[in-house]
Amino acid sequence: MITFDKASVTYPGGVRALKDLSLTVGDGEFVVIVGLSGAGKSTMIRAVNGLVPLTSGSVTVNDWSVPELGRRQMRDLRAEVGMIFQAFNLVKRTTVLNNVLMGRLHRVPLWRSLLGAYAAGDRELAMQCLELVEIVEKAYVRASNLSGGQQQRVGIARALAQEPKVILADEPVASLDPPTSHVVMKYLQRINRELGITTLVNLHFLDLARMYADRVIGLREGELVFDGPGSDADESVFEDIYGRSLTADDVLEGQAQL
Amino acid sequence: MTRTETPAEERLREQLRPEKPFARFRWTVTILLAAAFAWSALTIDARWDRLAQIPERTWNFLGLLIQDASLGPLVIALEAMWESVAIAWVATLIGVVISFPLIFLASVNVANRWVVLVVRQVLNLFRAIPEIVLAIAFIPFFGLNPVTAAVAMGVSSIGTLGKLSAEIVEGIDRGPMEAVAASGGGWLAKLRWGVLPQAMPEIAAFWLYRFEINIRVSAVLGVLGIGGIGTFLTQAAQRNYYDRIGLGLLVVIVVTMLIDGASARLRRRIINGPPGELDQKREAAARVQISGDET
Ligand SMILES: Nc1ncnc2c1ncn2[C@@H]1O[C@H](COP(=O)(O)OP(=O)(O)OP(=O)(O)O)[C@@H](O)[C@H]1O
Ligand SMILES: [Mg+2]
Repeated sequence: MITFDKASVTYPGGVRALKDLSLTVGDGEFVVIVGLSGAGKSTMIRAVNGLVPLTSGSVTVNDWSVPELGRRQMRDLRAEVGMIFQAFNLVKRTTVLNNVLMGRLHRVPLWRSLLGAYAAGDRELAMQCLELVEIVEKAYVRASNLSGGQQQRVGIARALAQEPKVILADEPVASLDPPTSHVVMKYLQRINRELGITTLVNLHFLDLARMYADRVIGLREGELVFDGPGSDADESVFEDIYGRSLTADDVLEGQAQL
Repeated sequence: MTRTETPAEERLREQLRPEKPFARFRWTVTILLAAAFAWSALTIDARWDRLAQIPERTWNFLGLLIQDASLGPLVIALEAMWESVAIAWVATLIGVVISFPLIFLASVNVANRWVVLVVRQVLNLFRAIPEIVLAIAFIPFFGLNPVTAAVAMGVSSIGTLGKLSAEIVEGIDRGPMEAVAASGGGWLAKLRWGVLPQAMPEIAAFWLYRFEINIRVSAVLGVLGIGGIGTFLTQAAQRNYYDRIGLGLLVVIVVTMLIDGASARLRRRIINGPPGELDQKREAAARVQISGDET
């Protein structure tokens, strides 16, 4: 369970990116966060694993009170929370398998990870994660040789290798074309349903949000302006979240037709 | 005759082309350089008239060099060159081993700002002192032998390798580092998986490049009489053994070029990755262009 309680973030420049956010995400939920660029979506997601520290209020993740964690505990928490990035953030010059094994860094003795001498059990787990996203045949290929969609699947496998309780995905499909976006979203959805991992995804295409979300959270200028099931999030709701009428840029299909 | 502007014309009119900015910095530098050159040429007190004699004198000198060339001293010259190469290799190893951990302490994106400040200054100091000065300073400690040359060049190599590698590390993509942090990895794990794979090829290429430089430097340091081809050449010059000078120069040139060539190939291979991969990258780039044309 993830609980935000009056969580606020003010960046050093004075930008208030999150204002008194209070909400609870239950175990196993698939939540999509939408909002205009700069609305605070990334800030909200990064507050969950402590990559962005709160200025006030609190975030609790499965009994961990994030603002109070020391360095050691913070790493323990992060090991339980997998993260997927818009730019994939793979180590391009090494193999797909090595990238997935990076998800094991926290569970593996330091000498093993430094030497890249992972135990057979960890390798097996990494292979299974690659199988889940159906890209295991690329295990020994350098990450730089994969397409964007393939790289993001490796990114998902890396997060899965952490055996996480929560997955955070910050605009996971923003660098991908429409068909590939659907593929990646379907994997995220399947992982959520089959493994019961709580999933928070930032998106800015409203049709994708409506299609995959169990629950949509709308942010505007750091404030919660909508919270409800995906089926309730119709066009007028989105116009309210965005504070303007919708354009072709706001839907993935609109992009596809350009 | 007036007619109303079309919206397109209106948009064009509203756009302002900027004035070409005056490149003050570039002009200042150019003028200063030209002035400095003129000033030094006028005041250096060189006998410029002798410039004209250079071709003739060179010809005479070349004649002396090959006049009574014999292969006898070749073995000695090659042995001396080998010693220079060995000195350069040891110096590079010293530089690599000691600079490697310092790289990370000298990069702002992985280490504490204050640590970086201190380590950078130390590296700058090592870099600032010419090898030959270091070598002279080390003679009392290690004596007139190759160890002096190796240590002097080693210290200098620590400076350059450390600083240049740190700049490579500072230029890497933050993404993978963030990914390691987000999965709960510590500082060393971040270095090993977030930093090293990105920076290592360039850093290793610098090691090789520094080896190439060290070969030249070690030939020069031999002039101090601390071993290698430089010592061979000074001794030959002092005794007017012109054939030996010619032979020595030839050996320096040929061996240096051979090693440079091999090393440059190796560097290219390290940076570009396995041969097939470069082709794939080119293909991918071509694909992007083609699909770009379609839209
Ligand atoms: N590191 C930072 N330092 C200062 N200001 C920041 C920083 N990161 C984000 N901001 C500001 O905080 C606000 C919220 O940013 P955030 O990245 O959370 O928005 P977002 O909803 O993810 O937007 P996008 O869709 O563009 O990714 C923005 O105004 C942004 O400029
Ligand atoms: Mg964002």
